[in-house]
Amino acid sequence: MGATILFTTLAVLLLLGIPVGFALVSASLATLLYLGLPPIVVVQQTTAGASAASLVAIPLFIFAGELMMRGGISERLISFASSLVGHLRGGLGQVSVLSSLLFGGVSGSAIADVSAIGGTMIPQMVKRGFDRDFAVNVSMTAALVALLVPPSHNLILYSASAGGSISIAQLFAAGIVPALLMTAALLFVTWFIARRRGYAVEVFPGWLEVLKRMVAAAPGLLLVALIFFGIRAGIFTAVESASIAVAYAVLVTTLVYRKLTWDSFLETCVGAVRTTGLILFVIGAAASFGWLLAYLEIPAAAVQALTGISDNKNVMLGLMVLVLLTIGIFLDLAPLIIICTPIFLPVAKALGVDPVHFGIILILKGGIGLITPPVGSVLFVGTAIGNIRVSDALKTIWPFYLAAITVLFMVVYIPQLSLWLPSLLK
Amino acid sequence: MTPNEQPNNVLLTRVSNVALIIAGVALVGVAFVEGWQVFARYVLNDSPSWTEPVALLLMSTTMMCGAAVGVRSHRHFGFFVLVETAKPGLRNVLVLIVQTIIALVGLLFFIAGFSLVAESWDFRMAGAPLPQGIVYVPICFGGALITLFSIERLLWARSTQKNQTES
Repeated sequence: MGATILFTTLAVLLLLGIPVGFALVSASLATLLYLGLPPIVVVQQTTAGASAASLVAIPLFIFAGELMMRGGISERLISFASSLVGHLRGGLGQVSVLSSLLFGGVSGSAIADVSAIGGTMIPQMVKRGFDRDFAVNVSMTAALVALLVPPSHNLILYSASAGGSISIAQLFAAGIVPALLMTAALLFVTWFIARRRGYAVEVFPGWLEVLKRMVAAAPGLLLVALIFFGIRAGIFTAVESASIAVAYAVLVTTLVYRKLTWDSFLETCVGAVRTTGLILFVIGAAASFGWLLAYLEIPAAAVQALTGISDNKNVMLGLMVLVLLTIGIFLDLAPLIIICTPIFLPVAKALGVDPVHFGIILILKGGIGLITPPVGSVLFVGTAIGNIRVSDALKTIWPFYLAAITVLFMVVYIPQLSLWLPSLLK
Repeated sequence: MTPNEQPNNVLLTRVSNVALIIAGVALVGVAFVEGWQVFARYVLNDSPSWTEPVALLLMSTTMMCGAAVGVRSHRHFGFFVLVETAKPGLRNVLVLIVQTIIALVGLLFFIAGFSLVAESWDFRMAGAPLPQGIVYVPICFGGALITLFSIERLLWARSTQKNQTES
């Protein structure tokens, strides 16, 4: 009965339009009252949930990403990407995809990616005669790549939601091959559509220019290497690497690029605070929800119920992905990770799925939810930047959806795509 | 009124700006504290114990102030299709329900947070020379702000609706 109250209250409140964090707290409160437990438990668990030491990395990576976004790094990465792939069919569309991969390594956030890269590339593409729907769709889908490239704060969130037992370094390594695969798939789709629509290509600027632009973008790219190899080699923790990323971002954007002014620094702080507040509040609120899940032994019941459907690992994985895709249509990525990890990770483990592999599946699947209606934050940001109606963008987004879902199922059914690099770097 | 519009009460706009400043200072503080942790560990070879609890306290301050400001600007994650597509009458009822629940959650955080501050103030925090009760101060403060901003949003929604009806 407790579980029924917990889930029914949550579903009803979400449907009514209560924000996720408040709906989680309210559903937990209703269940606590039913169970005769004191309401103060909600507040204690929320405080405890938002006080995990590993979570400190999240606001710091968000802060570093905002600094890089406003401090000139995105322009240089776009310029470098343009010199590399601008001459391919689809020109600026290809640049948008590759820039997202490079900038994702700096921001680790799909919203930051579509804001920074889409904000620059969509107007440029429209100016060069690309259809608005194409420009928006390629930029939005490309932002998915950022979720998988270190230092994705969503991977840190997954690790924290799993109780902190999963290595962040392993997760960072595991996301790289799927990110490259997604990039390749999107480059192909872009090429295919551009060929059909007859879009222009850019002139190849020559290898010397490529080298010059790479040097200009190097400080940003170096940050990715610094974080990834620093954590990987055990030199510093994820939290320490995040603080280094902030210091590095401040130094690069003020001393090297000379673009970060005091005013833009303040804007950066406000942007980072707004995002951090929303994400951390959901994390804290989900802690009381998670505490009740454990108290009511729901993960164990979920394992029993789901593994009872079929003992075929592949069938069950497909079923879980479909369930998660459905939930992802209605929930943003952070709440999805926090709510679904304690329920579905034990099921995945019972099926013999590696927790690192499952984490990549969860993030990729949740990422697709960001570009689908009715709750798709990247979809809304991208269409707002492109000044196009959501319905108009959705009419022609199908090839991009198809590419993303194909990559998702490849990642689901070929575990080596996620696990090969972590095993190589062990 | 659309859900993304924001109330414009002058006093509460100032309160909201102060909350943003506190949250921003706390966020920069987290970066400094963790930066000091790295410096002390690698350069001074002396890892301080106070950095972790202080960083968590600052992060909690950013969380609660940022969350409260998010209530005012209606930026929290959610599924708002029903509210956005409902007819005006039903929408007003939904806004009333939503803001009342948010206000009650804020009130719970304020009251329970205050109680936890009082109960644990005399105990010393592990790792830092601070009272344990300080951990719950951001919860209490943020809860009060959340209640305040949700009531403001509720009253603002009602007055906007009244003006629309009259015109």
